[in-house]
Order: sequence, then C-alpha cells, then structure tokens
Amino acid sequence: MKKIKVNKGLLFFLFLFLFLLVGRVYVYDLNQGIVISESEEAGGPEIIYGKPVKGVLFSHKFHVKELGLPCESCHSGIFEMAALSSQEKKDFNMQALYQGKYCGACHDGKTAFASNTKCASCHIGVKGMMPYLKKLSQSQDK
Amino acid sequence: MFKEIKKFLLNQPDEGVDKVPEETRREFLKIGLIITGVFAGGSIFSVVSKVAEGLATPEELHKSYPYKPHYSMVFKMDKCIDCERCVEACRATNNVPEYGWRTKILEIYDEKALDQKRIFMPILCNHCNNPPCVRACPTRATIKDPQTGIVKMVSYKCIGCKTCMVACPYNARYFNEEKRAIDKCDFCWETRLSKGEKLTACAAACPAGVRIFGDLSNPASEVYQIVHQLGKPVWTLKPETGAKPNVFYTMG
Repeated sequence: MKKIKVNKGLLFFLFLFLFLLVGRVYVYDLNQGIVISESEEAGGPEIIYGKPVKGVLFSHKFHVKELGLPCESCHSGIFEMAALSSQEKKDFNMQALYQGKYCGACHDGKTAFASNTKCASCHIGVKGMMPYLKKLSQSQDK
Repeated sequence: MFKEIKKFLLNQPDEGVDKVPEETRREFLKIGLIITGVFAGGSIFSVVSKVAEGLATPEELHKSYPYKPHYSMVFKMDKCIDCERCVEACRATNNVPEYGWRTKILEIYDEKALDQKRIFMPILCNHCNNPPCVRACPTRATIKDPQTGIVKMVSYKCIGCKTCMVACPYNARYFNEEKRAIDKCDFCWETRLSKGEKLTACAAACPAGVRIFGDLSNPASEVYQIVHQLGKPVWTLKPETGAKPNVFYTMG
C-alpha cells in the first residue's frame, strides 16, 4: 500500500492563503500574535499579541466602537498604525505600562483601570484565544 | 473460648462516638484552616488560614508533619495570565509528552460576570501530607519522601494499574507510555532540586510571579509568610478529602 505523504509546510501555506483570501486573519500564529480585521465601523482590527507573553487582547471594537475613542487618542505617538509593531519593541512589557507607556497611558487607574489590576481582562491567555476567534467569526456571520 | 473473645472485645478501650467529631475537628484545625465557602466551578472549597487566632500554631503544624525542607507552593491566582510558559518549561525540563501533563492551567470563564469575565487557575500535584495515591498503590511505586514531603514515583516498581490515578483527588497523574509507568509532578526533584536548584522549572519560568515555591518549615520563606497570615484568604483545593495538600491558593 502506498502512503501519501502530506507536506505539512505546504498545507500550512495553503491554509494561510485561504485565510488571506477570506481577509479576516492576517497573521495566524499564536507565538507571533494574531490580527483579525473587523468591519469599517469597528475602527480597526482585533489584535492578540504573542510577545513577550501569549494571548494579550486589544479590541478596537471595544475601544473605538463601544467607547467611542478617536483614533488620535492612541495613534499619535503611543502606538504605530501597523498592527503588532509594538510587540517587536524591547520595552513592550508590564514595567513600561506602569511608567505610562503603551496601554499604560490610559490604564493608569484614573482614565481607565490600572495596568496592575484585572490581569485576565486583557491577558485572555492561550485558552482564551480560540474561543475569542470563534466568537468573532460567529458575530461576523450574522 | 467464646467467652474469652467476648471478654477481650469488651475490654477494648472505648473510643467514644461523641469524641470523634471533636477529634476530627481538632485535627482539622491543626493544619490551620477552616472552610468558609464554595468556589465556582466544582467542588473546590475556599479555606481561610486560622493560624493566627491561636487554634494551632505553625509549630504545632510542623510537629505533625516534620519535613525539612517542607516543599510547598502558593499560587497568587489572579495574577495568572495563561501564557503557559510554566507548562512549556515543565515539558522541556521533565520530558512530559504531548498527551500528558504535570501542571496545567484551568480557566474559569463567566460571560455574565461583572467586570472581569475570566480567571485562570494553575494546578499541579498537591504533594499532600496525607496522600491518597500513596495509600492506594499496591506496589509502593509512589512514595511520600520522608525528608522533603515530596510525593515521588519509583518508576521501575510501577505496574501501570492506574489505581493511584483514580485515588488522586486532583487528577495530577497520567500514564507515560514511554516509561510504561505513571508520571507526575515531583516538584522537579529529579531534574532540578536534587541538583542544587532552588526553584522548580515552572516557578522559575513564571513571568507574573504567580508560583511562589519554597520551604513551609522556614519562617523566612515567602511561602511560610503567606500561608500563616490572616490578611488575605488562603485556601486549598478539595480539603474535604482530608488529603491535606501542600499547594495553597491566594490572591495577588
């Protein structure tokens, strides 16, 4: 009996291509972070950071659509426009947040809840990622 | 002859039914814990340290379980972010296969919860003072180390009957196909502690300071200071089983 060899790399690229075709998921690797494009009114993609720790959520849907924050409030020096670009920086960690950098600019305990509280609200973790992606795709289908 | 047996039985010291509840109660308080509530998502009871109220001093506790060092772990549960670095570190250090686990992270998610909807709970072997798995093992392949209190496996003695897996209240054991034996957390005794390291692989890998590992018999250790205080609640999992675990939980 002949065994059919499946090239795993090829398969991965095929799936990646399919995702790109659908246009929802740009990056699909838990270690690298995930970017899911939302509809225009959401204001931007749903971002799940993969570095320095896995599974940290930033939702444009919540911050822009629901809270009504303008783009400039973050995209004028705090964060670059390109998604996931901040996770490549060395100081992208909790210590920087406590000093008022990145998310810590608002999450200081006055404007929004402090960075050193409610850990699992943003850190949805490895377990939180898949259900979140599923929920998103369900809400998009409707 | 029957008369003699009757006489023998009647001469047995009376345990006294009325004494038992008090005895068990005292035994329970000795470890310094009292049940206060039910934790969401299963039969996990919340337990608060009562040591400082004078019901049992830390000295009394360590007299009944005189391990030195008395290895123990405390989880600051709300700090856990499920990055799973601990799980990865454990797999790499102890050669844990894909299908098995020595430590893992449980998730509690409630859509209707106010504010924060999610919290994580790391679990591992509780290294009980009164381990049900050790009692259950027919070949004495799993032992409670008389010096450190670590519940260890002696792999070559294990016949793979999996009785200990059933006996463990914390589901902390799995069958390792390669070893043909049950495998479980040994606080990294084989891979790290016996070689002079101070921390387990998971505690060393944790970026959020969730896993506090140390010696419960040393008043200077953080573990001791967390377990024997009253300010913040400290609890163990499933205390009703009487296993008296050495893994405690608290909040940041």
